[in-house]
Amino acid sequence: MIVKTMSAFFATIFFSIIFNIAKKNLIFCGLGGAIGWFIYLCCIQSIHSPVLASFLGALTVAIFSRSMSKIRKVPVTIFLISGIIPLVPGAGMYRTMFAIINNDLVGAATYGISTLQIAGVIAIAMVMVSSFPNKKQR
Amino acid sequence: MQHRSLFHVALLAGEIMLRNGAETYRVEDTINRILHTYEFEIIESFVTPTGIFVTIADSNTELITLIKRVQHRTTNLEKVALVNDISRRLVSGSLEISEALKELQQIQQKPPYSSFIITLSIGLASAFFTLMFGGHWRDFIASGIIGIILSMVQLYFSNKKISNFFINIVGGACIGLTSILLTSILPLGQHLDPIIIGSIMPLVPGVAITNAIRDTIQGDLVAGNSRATEAFLIAISIATGVGIVLKIFLLITGGSMP
Repeated sequence: MIVKTMSAFFATIFFSIIFNIAKKNLIFCGLGGAIGWFIYLCCIQSIHSPVLASFLGALTVAIFSRSMSKIRKVPVTIFLISGIIPLVPGAGMYRTMFAIINNDLVGAATYGISTLQIAGVIAIAMVMVSSFPNKKQR
Repeated sequence: MQHRSLFHVALLAGEIMLRNGAETYRVEDTINRILHTYEFEIIESFVTPTGIFVTIADSNTELITLIKRVQHRTTNLEKVALVNDISRRLVSGSLEISEALKELQQIQQKPPYSSFIITLSIGLASAFFTLMFGGHWRDFIASGIIGIILSMVQLYFSNKKISNFFINIVGGACIGLTSILLTSILPLGQHLDPIIIGSIMPLVPGVAITNAIRDTIQGDLVAGNSRATEAFLIAISIATGVGIVLKIFLLITGGSMP
């Protein structure tokens, strides 16, 4: 689990470089990704529901990003987009595709719907945090 | 004439943000904030992922509407942050309009990370994703190699200005081929699943799908729909690429996967 969290940290940092995020923010992006993935792993071990685990992970990332963007005075998108990278359902998309080429239509529907559910709850978590009113308008 | 240059600053700021991957509501917000520093009677901006529409009107100027079509979008979040900073300084009054225009033009010219660093990062990102999805150290090395090959292929084709749809099909096929090579023929990687999942992460539109849903929830229906369409098109093209190669492999070996 420590290895996985560390991998999420580095994967997020290298992904942030692909997104051209400035060097001074990279560490914080990686931290966001690692925290989100750590929460996801904790939840999935105790409640066995990838959808709920993704939701809680994304919620953590969103809260982290919002406080980070306040502290470092950069748009919240920078931390949000990079932080959710480990959580986004890339694996689900691959499994859906793999089921389709194996003619396993039940599997395709199962993985496809769970992929959409995960993408949906991550989006809802992001919107929930960003709809909290700002104390002072910039 | 000051209102005209302010108008151009606002539009240029919006264009840079949209081109580099900002959300549509942020672009609208930035344009409106910049324009509100001058007392126009009407300020309307409407931003979709493929274009910006801005109208201003004043009692002593005529109605001005400008449309800016944005065709190529990349993700360069540093530029978004820099433009955001300029707009904040402009609104607070600590930056002149002419200086803002100059700084915006500088941002436009700012080069991204070099392609060597990007290639290396795609390789390392794929490698760490493989580890994250339960791969071992040998799978880590395998998907690192795949990631570097993938980004070279992508770079080669995008320099030739070929459509993204085609690049993604070729990229997917390239991932499928190299990962089979590195697991079955060269026994470097042991688990095909985490290797492929890790390597397609730089391609899959997970963030795009999430953003599409977010835009839709927030009421930017046009933006949400167009982003969703784009994301599904990318997903389909990657799946086509990887799928064809895996299917051929399954047919040759008679259905056994490593």
